[in-house]
Amino acid sequence: MGDSQYSFSLTTFSPSGKLVQIEHALMAVGSGQTSLGIKATNGVVVATEKKLPSILVDETSVQKIQLVTPNIGVVYSGMGPDSRVLVRKSRKQAQQYFRLYKETIPVTQLVRETAAVMQEFTQSGGVRPFGVSLLIAGYDDNGPQLYQVDPSGSYFSWKASAMGKNVSNAKTFLEKRYTEDMELEDAIHTAILTLKEGFEGQISGKNIEIGIIGTDRQFRVLSSSEIDDYLAEVE
Amino acid sequence: MVKMTDLPTKGGFSFDLCTRNQMLLDKGVQMPPFRKTGTTIVGLVFQDGVVLGADTRATEGPIVADKNCEKIHFMAPNIYCCGAGTAADTEAVTDMVSSQLQLHRYATGRESRVVTALTLLKSHLFSYQGHVSAALVLGGVDVTGPHLHTVYPHGSTDTLPFATMGSGSLAAMSVFESKYREGLTREEGIELVAEAICAGIFNDLGSGSNVDVCVITKGQTEYLRNYQLPNPRTYISSKGYSFVKGQTAVVVTKLVHVEAIFQLRVDEWQYRINWGLVQCLC
Repeated sequence: MGDSQYSFSLTTFSPSGKLVQIEHALMAVGSGQTSLGIKATNGVVVATEKKLPSILVDETSVQKIQLVTPNIGVVYSGMGPDSRVLVRKSRKQAQQYFRLYKETIPVTQLVRETAAVMQEFTQSGGVRPFGVSLLIAGYDDNGPQLYQVDPSGSYFSWKASAMGKNVSNAKTFLEKRYTEDMELEDAIHTAILTLKEGFEGQISGKNIEIGIIGTDRQFRVLSSSEIDDYLAEVE
Repeated sequence: MVKMTDLPTKGGFSFDLCTRNQMLLDKGVQMPPFRKTGTTIVGLVFQDGVVLGADTRATEGPIVADKNCEKIHFMAPNIYCCGAGTAADTEAVTDMVSSQLQLHRYATGRESRVVTALTLLKSHLFSYQGHVSAALVLGGVDVTGPHLHTVYPHGSTDTLPFATMGSGSLAAMSVFESKYREGLTREEGIELVAEAICAGIFNDLGSGSNVDVCVITKGQTEYLRNYQLPNPRTYISSKGYSFVKGQTAVVVTKLVHVEAIFQLRVDEWQYRINWGLVQCLC
């Protein structure tokens, strides 16, 4: 109850020790479309629902899963425009890292820098936290990696994770289905099944998006026909 | 506050140091020689795309600083740039524009265009008023076709079917002017470029060593590093030298006994040499 008096200002702690604005940001994420990621032994897969506000929207113009470097991709849950800003900044940071060290940025470094940006917006005046959680999937010299970054700026490495509307069901499903020796193909099937769990309506290549990265270290977003093929395999 | 777009920094280039340099020159102080790339760089357009060529000598005044440097720089998978002038400047400016092009590709989702690289380069060079000493031959193939441009240190550009830059440019241009024609095949284009670079290598002191060639066509780029090696290094005998006993006259022989004592302590090693024969040749 006392918390609500502290909910207007980002830079003020509430008596219980929370920054209420960040809690609200997490609520924004929690009401966003479901997205998930699974780390396999030889790659990472990320997937998200792509529910468009109307059938009139040209779905080919919308791409939720974005590339940051050739070997790192990112998907979000929450406010799309906020994720665009973060992706733009991350791309620039990756380029700056390369210009400075002549080495492609390791996944952990990129995650750290993106998280630092998100944290900045929780400790500055006149700004609000980002209303997105990001799932960053990459493959570098340390193998396949999957990180989740929250609006507070905290990040964790996950073997499999989900965020958005259906998070609890999806996570339970993933806990049951995940195995340590899963390969990329199995991971893609598991990702599709997890999305199917909470999907309202008919799932197809047009209303979900899947991004994969394998040992070739090239992140790519699957085309809708490829997704339809996987859906046919899963059925 | 975080800005959504990155505004250019206020104030621009500070010319203070340039004024200082001029003052020093007037007083008679010599500028230290910086590594220039001497250089012959060329490019030509053939029927399927562009061919770029460069020599591989980097000079520091009269000294060859690098016998096999790379003067053809990557800008985008379909765009390469040869650089003449100050080596650091060409490296830095091409790296910077390459980085900007990559960000642009992510933002647009499209292949980079040669004119984009050209405009980024010339705007940068112009804003530095010629102090960034980079003379470039930029070539590539994009959706609008093959393009070849030259960029001068002050920021002016030319669009040409064949171009040469650097101290060996006149030697190379003579080859192009006599032998270039439209509609060359790939093999003819590569041969002509190699000939032009060789003309620069043999007739210009600032250029030398090997020929690098880069062929860019629609959908494919081939970087032929050290395509020709017209100046092979002849090394001294690989067997090495044998120093036979008696080749050097022995003047004095002195035998010295030396003692070695090994003491092992927990915290430190101590030793002196024990047995040994030391023959002094003086």
